[in-house]
Amino acid sequence: MKVPKEDSHDAKAQKKEKDLEPKKKEEITMKRVEEKEEEKAQRASEEFPSDSDSDDEGLSEDEGTVIESGSQSELSEDEDIVSTSGDDESSDHKGHGEENLENQIESDDSLPNDDDFSQEDEEGQSESNESRQAVEESDSSEDEVAPRNTIGDVPLEWYRDEEHIGYDLAGKKIKKKERQDKLDSFLASVDDSRNWRRIYDDYNDEEVELTKDESKLINRLLKGKAPHADFDPYAPYVDWFAWDGAKHPLSNAPEPKRRFIPSKWESKKVVEYVRAIRKGLIKFDKPKEEARLYHLWDDSSSTERHGLAFIPAPKPKLPGHEESYNPSLEYIPTQEEINSYQLMFEEDRPTFIPKRFTSLRSVPAYEKAVNESFDRCLDLYLCPRARKKRINIDPESLKPKLPSRKDLKPYPITCYLEYKGHKGPVMSISTESTGQWIASGSSDGTVRIWEVETGRCFRVWELGDTVQHVAWNPSPELPILAVSAGQDVFLLNTGLGDEEEQKKIKEILHVETSTAPDGSGNNSSIVSWAQDDKHEGIRLTHFKTVSSIEWHRKGDYFSTVMPSGESRAVLIHQLSKKLTQRIPFKLHGLPVSAAFHPTRSMFFISTKKNVRVYDLLKQKPIKKLETGVREVSSIAIHPGGDHVIVGSREGKLCWFDMDLSSQPYRVLKCHPKDITNVAFHRSYPLFASCSDDCTAYVFHGMVYSDLNQNPLIVPLEILRGHASSNGRGVMDCKFHPRQPWLFTAGADSVIKLYCH
Amino acid sequence: MDIDGDVEEAASRRVQVRFVTKLKPPFKAPLTSIAIPSNLTRLGLSAVVNNLLKAVPGNEDWKTEPFDFLIDGELVRMSLEEFLLAKGISAERVLEIEYIKAVAPRKEETPSLHDDWVSAVDGSNPGFILTGCYDGFGRIWKAAGLCTHVLEGHSDAVTSVSIIKQKSMAVESTADLLVATASKDRTLRLWKFDAEQSLDHPSKIRAFKVLRGHNASVQSIAAQPSGDMVCSGSWDCRINLWQTNDFDAGGDLVSIKKRKKDTDGGESQSEGEAVSTLVGHTQCVASVVWPQYGTIYSASWDHSIRRWDVETGKDSLNMYCGKVINCLDVGGESSALIAAGGSDPIIRIWDPRKPGTVAPVFQFSSHTSWISACKWHDKSWFHLVSASYDGKVMLWDLRTAWPLCVLDSHKDKVLCVDWWKGDSVISGGVDSKLCISSEVSVQ
Repeated sequence: MKVPKEDSHDAKAQKKEKDLEPKKKEEITMKRVEEKEEEKAQRASEEFPSDSDSDDEGLSEDEGTVIESGSQSELSEDEDIVSTSGDDESSDHKGHGEENLENQIESDDSLPNDDDFSQEDEEGQSESNESRQAVEESDSSEDEVAPRNTIGDVPLEWYRDEEHIGYDLAGKKIKKKERQDKLDSFLASVDDSRNWRRIYDDYNDEEVELTKDESKLINRLLKGKAPHADFDPYAPYVDWFAWDGAKHPLSNAPEPKRRFIPSKWESKKVVEYVRAIRKGLIKFDKPKEEARLYHLWDDSSSTERHGLAFIPAPKPKLPGHEESYNPSLEYIPTQEEINSYQLMFEEDRPTFIPKRFTSLRSVPAYEKAVNESFDRCLDLYLCPRARKKRINIDPESLKPKLPSRKDLKPYPITCYLEYKGHKGPVMSISTESTGQWIASGSSDGTVRIWEVETGRCFRVWELGDTVQHVAWNPSPELPILAVSAGQDVFLLNTGLGDEEEQKKIKEILHVETSTAPDGSGNNSSIVSWAQDDKHEGIRLTHFKTVSSIEWHRKGDYFSTVMPSGESRAVLIHQLSKKLTQRIPFKLHGLPVSAAFHPTRSMFFISTKKNVRVYDLLKQKPIKKLETGVREVSSIAIHPGGDHVIVGSREGKLCWFDMDLSSQPYRVLKCHPKDITNVAFHRSYPLFASCSDDCTAYVFHGMVYSDLNQNPLIVPLEILRGHASSNGRGVMDCKFHPRQPWLFTAGADSVIKLYCH
Repeated sequence: MDIDGDVEEAASRRVQVRFVTKLKPPFKAPLTSIAIPSNLTRLGLSAVVNNLLKAVPGNEDWKTEPFDFLIDGELVRMSLEEFLLAKGISAERVLEIEYIKAVAPRKEETPSLHDDWVSAVDGSNPGFILTGCYDGFGRIWKAAGLCTHVLEGHSDAVTSVSIIKQKSMAVESTADLLVATASKDRTLRLWKFDAEQSLDHPSKIRAFKVLRGHNASVQSIAAQPSGDMVCSGSWDCRINLWQTNDFDAGGDLVSIKKRKKDTDGGESQSEGEAVSTLVGHTQCVASVVWPQYGTIYSASWDHSIRRWDVETGKDSLNMYCGKVINCLDVGGESSALIAAGGSDPIIRIWDPRKPGTVAPVFQFSSHTSWISACKWHDKSWFHLVSASYDGKVMLWDLRTAWPLCVLDSHKDKVLCVDWWKGDSVISGGVDSKLCISSEVSVQ
């Protein structure tokens, strides 16, 4: 029964503690086995309290001392009795048997008597037995007889050949008693009938005489009976506990053994800890010292890293089930309640309003299921889930280092003068080369010349048609004004200049034979040159509306642009010969504006997307500037000739460095509305743009003669003051030719002069 | 309680003052020192002085007169207490306050109407006022609204006029007066007339001499103090010098030729050519003045003010000031200070006697638009009148940064201004009016 159990337990234990060291394991299993056995025994004793063996054991354990002491106490008293009984040789069975036994013992004793050694040995054994008994006996008997032996519990063989045995308190040897001669002892034993009872106590070095009771006791023990004759092993069990009347049954079972033995589990835990400590998993050392080494060349970025680089996506909201009910009527909100939701805060407002269905079967599927899962997927897909590495840059340091505006003075700042007189939006202005006069054309059909200094209107022409563009002849000797009004271009004599100049102008502005446009197709018939006596000038009648006029720097040639003129959209006229010619280039797209190069024989034509540069002498295209804007509205050439600014209808201003690239060197997005015109100053490093948002911007645009240095562009000033009219703001801007002043022509029919 | 006490204390804080003056006896107050509240302003001080003058025996029917007050050569423009604090003057000692008559026009004459913008005015002769107008005529005004002569001849607007003082005649004489006008028609004309003639309707005069030589509008004209020559600045960047007397033989020859051409006019008309030309300016010469015999000052749109030596034709001073200059006048202390105004609302005054200084010694910035004209008072060292496109005429005293007086008589831009008879300010503007503000009591 036990073996398999042990085995199974063993196996279990082994399984449990596979990692234990084999030796240790053995120990533990051994312990286990012992414990197990003990436990078993205990359990058995509990289970079968009436078992004789166990009873004996228990009794001997529990009550043995009492009995022994009893017997001891009786011993001394009963000595005589025993002796008497021995003498009497009492007649009952038992007694007889005892007698036989005694005899046997006697015979036994007598037999080895001849051999001293064996007898001594036996005596010694018995002596030792007795002494052990004495040790086990209560203290009372010990107190009566003082300990005669001083050597302690050491083997007597050590003193066998010695004359003494032990020492007394004074340190003197205790002499052994003189042993009787063998012969003498034999004789004595012969004489004495009680000699067989005498036993030499080797230990205490004395002779002891056994009493009768003692010998009887020995006999009983030898027979395997209880040592006392009056002990009944089969006495009836007396239940001393009153079992009746107790509410709860109390067990009179003795305390289980396990309560007195160390806990298996505690020891297991301890073993576990011990093992952990041995393995070094638990440490009782001092806290670790900080490393004395560090990265010399380490940058601090690694130390700042904390947290996860990867950010898990937030969990989606768990699906609810509000929508899947067919609620009863009392849960359906009334119309008033629904209306009252509108008054609530948007966060507090319920997202779902229950509805009533005819049956639960008609409750629809969740209609937003696809949308929501799509959104979720989109979120997961689009939202970056990794920690962004943020570069710590001071935004101020990213700003370009621009010079202070104060250092870039002078530039136009304040409006001091206004030129009032036009009745409609001023479409175009132009400054005379000396800067004494400006001309302006308005949509009220008039062209006016103003004195810059005082704002006095010096002269007015009524042309009748909307004036699109006015342009002074750049030559100071020829104060001629070219004006485009509708399909006509007028060359007007302003009446300025002295007599000789006037004479020359009158000669120039004289056409002998007016060439009427006929269908013959030669160049001269594109426009007709005719004398216009009413306005004292020449009228050039085009076949389409002329949008812009640009003079060549020498004042003999001028170009006109008719955006809808198709292949004949851009014309170049020669004033001295009264000739008109087409440009010998193919136009790519609708032309917007044209300009002569300020120093070389180059010609700029801007279409809606691009600006093309042509060489007039070689008659071939040179360059194409890609603006990248939607629609070009205006173009201006730097007086140096290598830089071009282009204004666009989307409010962007592109600066081209023609030596650098065909792409814009810089794109300035400053106007919220269309740029209507751009302008360069003739001598100061200034340029300006004006827009329909009623503002004009003034920039510093420094161009260096050093080719390695890029142009410096600094926004300087926003000039405000014009009022909006029909969505148009500032229509034109021109710099004063000699002062850092800017003229702006507004749709509010006012021309303003901004001075430094 | 405390506050009341403070107020009382402030009100009762007094300063010991003594009023002194350089004015003549009826304006002389007793020289005793009196204690006056320290929170008095100019008006309060004026009332105190008026009371003092009224108490003077013989001044029983005293009429209240406004006064201005000077402490240590500076006009008081705030309360006395603040002034003392600002200047760090101790209030313990007896304060000497000099009082002068307040400089302000007391009378506004009826404006003299022109046909067009009044572009130029000259009041250097106390007998009449000479104006130039954008209709091409010059006009002689005897008094407000009384036009005696019309100078006909220019084909374009008159831009500048000047009365030529002739040393042969007494300054006060009005017979055979010589005036010069400059015009946008590139000519200068010299006129001779007799101011004594008094007619019901203005008499028309033709120029006795036409000076041609400029290639562009003549912008300004100035006469030599001796009256022998005039100089003119023009848009052709040049300053031309012309002889005024017609005893020049070369000029005669030309004049005869021209006279034959000009047959419409019955009067003789000679022509003159420039004696010399001062070249150096790069832009329009907007203003010239000829304060001394051999020195011409000129101001130009090229941002420079130059002083020319007439004999050598070289500029001895070239001051760059950064702004377009429209008007220039030389005067003030020992007739040496240069006052100029231009394309910004600031009147700047330089002292060219300090060598190497380009920073103006005074700046007056109460105007709000371009300065069109500025003139020194010819007697006073301190007084200045200025006109601006903001429609205001302002009187300035160098001893304070605030204008003494703002004349608001014009509706539009004021183009020209001058002193007249030492106590009147005459100004003309875009509203075609010649305004005369008289009885300005400059010492």
